[in-house]
Amino acid sequence: MKVKVISIPVQDQEKALKFYTEKLGFLKKVDIPLSEGNRWLTVVSKEEPDGAEILLEPSPNHFEPAKVYQNALFDAGIPYTQFNCENVQQEYERLTSLGVEFSVKPTEMGTVKIAVFNDTCGNQIQIVQML
Amino acid sequence: MKENEKEITNYFNEIMRIKNICYPNQGQLDTVIGTRHYINNHYDKELNLNFLSHIRFTSKFHLLRLFKRYYGLTPKQHLIDRRLEKSKELLASGQSITETCFDIGFESPSSFSTLFKSKFGLTPSEFQKRATFTKSNNI
Repeated sequence: MKVKVISIPVQDQEKALKFYTEKLGFLKKVDIPLSEGNRWLTVVSKEEPDGAEILLEPSPNHFEPAKVYQNALFDAGIPYTQFNCENVQQEYERLTSLGVEFSVKPTEMGTVKIAVFNDTCGNQIQIVQML
Repeated sequence: MKENEKEITNYFNEIMRIKNICYPNQGQLDTVIGTRHYINNHYDKELNLNFLSHIRFTSKFHLLRLFKRYYGLTPKQHLIDRRLEKSKELLASGQSITETCFDIGFESPSSFSTLFKSKFGLTPSEFQKRATFTKSNNI
């Protein structure tokens, strides 16, 4: 078995695509129209274009428990998932300058440094740097 | 409640609580983080536990135990991982397999190829072909 796709629930796929590509710097990989305006929409890291794809999945709009779960995580500030980066402080400054809001500023936690931001699509996302 | 206190999430409070439980010893953290940085910056040199423990003024068994506890792998495993990650960059830039092997501190191209395949599932030359193909497709 291989890890090929992981999904992130998003409330608006087009808005999510803009955020994940224009702010975070991911690349659009697959965009296939499905029924009722939904898409099979994935993005990949620019640094690892052959790595795992992130499926921007509109589940909160179609499955109430997904929405409830997403909202509960968001309200508690708990990240839905995390991405690794070389330097959390630099990434924090870059994203802040693009208007991204952070609920946790760069913070050392043992052997890692973390920060958490709002992806504007219903999720808190954590970035992590190994120290 | 002050304005900035409102912004602190439950998650942040939980992180701080766990941090105090799991990472109370800053001296140990400095030792393992310092060792990891040293490996990251000197991966092309011959490094062993004796040498790494000497520069951190600690015993090699203590360093081995600490490193494994904080990072989940031994300094040697981390060194191999670092070398192999670096080799991907060099191979993708078009450098030869033999040159890459020596640049990252391995002594034998065949053991480098075996390790590379066991970690990434393809040989260095297969990786290089794929990387070149991906690059030309993206242009």
